[in-house]
Amino acid sequence: MEATMDENNIPGSTEPQAAAPTAGTLPNSVKVQKTFSLPGIGFCLATASDESLIYAGLSDFSIVRANLSSEKIEPSALGTAGHTSYVMGLVRCGETLVSGGYDCSLIWWNADGGEIIRRVVDAHARWIRMLAVSPDQTRIASVADDMQTKLWDAATGECLATWGDYELKTPHGFPSMLYAVAYSADGKWLATGDRTGRVLVRDATNGQLAATIETPFMYTWDPTARRHSIGGIRSLAFSNDSSQLAVGGMGKVGNIDHLEGVSRIEVFNWQTGTRRFEIEDSKHKGLVEALQFGPEDAYLVAAGGDNSGFVSVWNMADGKLLTQDNAPMHVHDFALSADSRSLIAVGHQQGAAIDLFSVQA
Amino acid sequence: MSRIPASGICIPAQHAVSRRGFMSDGAIRAAGAVTVAGCFASDMGQIHALRSEEVASELRKQDKHVILLWLAGGASQFETWDPKPGAKTGGPFRAIQTNATGVHISELLPELAQRMQHTAIIRSLNTKIADHGRGADLMETGRLKDPSILYPDLGAVVARELGRLESKVPDYVSLYTSTEGRRKGTSGFLGARYAPMFLSESMIPPNIARLETVSEIDHHDRAALRDALGRRFAASRRSHTVDSQNSAYQRVHGLMASAELFDITQEPAEMQARYGPTQFGHQCLIARRLIEAGVPFVKVARAWWDSHGQNFETHQELCADLDHSMSVLLDDLEQRGLLKNTLVITLGEFGRTPEINSSLGRDHFASAWSCSLSGLGIRGGVAYGKTDPEGHTVVEGEASAADLFATILSALKIDHKHEYTVGARPVPLADFGSKPIAEVLS
Repeated sequence: MEATMDENNIPGSTEPQAAAPTAGTLPNSVKVQKTFSLPGIGFCLATASDESLIYAGLSDFSIVRANLSSEKIEPSALGTAGHTSYVMGLVRCGETLVSGGYDCSLIWWNADGGEIIRRVVDAHARWIRMLAVSPDQTRIASVADDMQTKLWDAATGECLATWGDYELKTPHGFPSMLYAVAYSADGKWLATGDRTGRVLVRDATNGQLAATIETPFMYTWDPTARRHSIGGIRSLAFSNDSSQLAVGGMGKVGNIDHLEGVSRIEVFNWQTGTRRFEIEDSKHKGLVEALQFGPEDAYLVAAGGDNSGFVSVWNMADGKLLTQDNAPMHVHDFALSADSRSLIAVGHQQGAAIDLFSVQA
Repeated sequence: MSRIPASGICIPAQHAVSRRGFMSDGAIRAAGAVTVAGCFASDMGQIHALRSEEVASELRKQDKHVILLWLAGGASQFETWDPKPGAKTGGPFRAIQTNATGVHISELLPELAQRMQHTAIIRSLNTKIADHGRGADLMETGRLKDPSILYPDLGAVVARELGRLESKVPDYVSLYTSTEGRRKGTSGFLGARYAPMFLSESMIPPNIARLETVSEIDHHDRAALRDALGRRFAASRRSHTVDSQNSAYQRVHGLMASAELFDITQEPAEMQARYGPTQFGHQCLIARRLIEAGVPFVKVARAWWDSHGQNFETHQELCADLDHSMSVLLDDLEQRGLLKNTLVITLGEFGRTPEINSSLGRDHFASAWSCSLSGLGIRGGVAYGKTDPEGHTVVEGEASAADLFATILSALKIDHKHEYTVGARPVPLADFGSKPIAEVLS
């Protein structure tokens, strides 16, 4: 792996530095505590307020609920007659879950009983890739392969806004995809990322563009061997102070078999467009599917995989690796616990609870 | 039977066909197989017969071509011709109704779904070999590789059977401009005469341009002088060698003149736009130009369908390319009156597994997969064969690679049982025991 801190190379840079971490507050291990089987591929995850309960959207078109406090975790289906294709986005708004999928629909669920409250068929014209919920849980943003970002009233299901600004086709004439969306912690900003490596940050209330950031390495277009791309921006995360934006995907693909490319993260001070870190990891390869900053933005947790999975933690003071290890499966989504000392991940056919601090810490 | 010594050179006596016999019903087919085989001319009488207006007219009537769209690396049958929506193995895509009653294909092929009147799908290939090299060997030649003999691939066989002595264009052109999985193709025991003109680095053939130091006028004058001297020489010294040399010169001259066929800027801008911005689209347009000029066999290879990782993203990208480019190609061929004489094939070395791996990919799978045949000799709107609900096995109409080749040759009205003789060994055009799939033939 290699990490570079670009900021050091910028003469006269006045960009804010992350606060120096306090000893003992940085993760020092990636240790799997327990795993549980899923009846399909887990693509997305939402947690209940008490953290013992999680929900996952799966490739068998279902949403399952799992009680992590049980001795044996046995996920059970939430409701019936939901999506008709893969469930790719799942957020919780109070006692309501909202899911989106490749069937282009959004569904509001009673998180407790599993009844469908509302269904918006054809919420998008093409596959819905991800959902994000505003910190106050009043708004939901969705992104899809129609290359549109839509803003929804979480309570009523009303579509409040539709924003374009992405090309439908890649520069090489193929269908593009809009994979990732994230709300800033202060709820003011919404970031989206597409297949070609373009990040747009907009005002979450009126959609006005605030920044455009290009991450062309994420595109992975191969003009010689295979004439197609396989990467794209798969994950986005704002820092807790909303000043930084982490972008995840994959770098140069060596062998297309099983995603043999370096996992890649770029971290920006997005309002100035300054790239703080460019992280490529050739030890744990594949796509960075999910990102989340730790407390005080001292570190960044990344997870994803190729034909296996990984969890890595990067120090946001210097861009260096703090700790990493294999995950039991390719991870598609995770959520840090409230104390940020552990995470719950879902992925290929299973889920896992993973500690980030060893006992000594 | 055509006798081909180990050297690959046809025996002249085999070409001695009487004009009456040549023109008789059924013998036209034999002419395709034997006389018009495209071996370098060996019998001047025969050449003269071929040049007669009557014969030329008959040959034009049976002018046939093949465009093979080679989906290199192996496309997924689930995401193309044999969708299983809702099955555990089905993936996320829906099936859509085509314009053929009861035939559904993947939603990734919406334009082709509206052109199923031209196309028959074979959903029941069981070719057993699921590694790239041997799978490609099998699906390029229709038979297992044999260390004791070099089999020709489909392009070489078609070039030999449908190529014309007097043709000034190549008989077999193969475009494979990506590097992954690139294979040149082989004419095997048929010899170099039927080897493909292989374009790997550029869409314009290299080294066939006229030297800048030779003017266009000089180029033609030199050719005319050489032809005149050659004819005079041959008039008094007729032999296979002399005829071959003359033919070779004519052929080289023809190839040089054919360079413009590869230049799509010769097409109106509207036509270029129809084929779209991708290289595969451009190559499909080149294929049409070549077919229109009389090339019997064109292979356009599209890399790289080997979707061990991100199968669904890969097929979203590549199917969009295939769907649009092939649809425009079919329309263009039809509008030009060429589709009735042209067979368009989609094929690769195998299909992909029902199981979805942890990279969201599908791996190699040759036990139950699909291909398509469109145009010449094909009963459109047909989906032949059936796989089980999760796509693990063929449950109806199992077909081998040899059966597929017999079907292709039958669509071209070439006797698939016709035998070459290599040394003392009979080699049928399609492997022993093969049987055409009658249900997909018109």
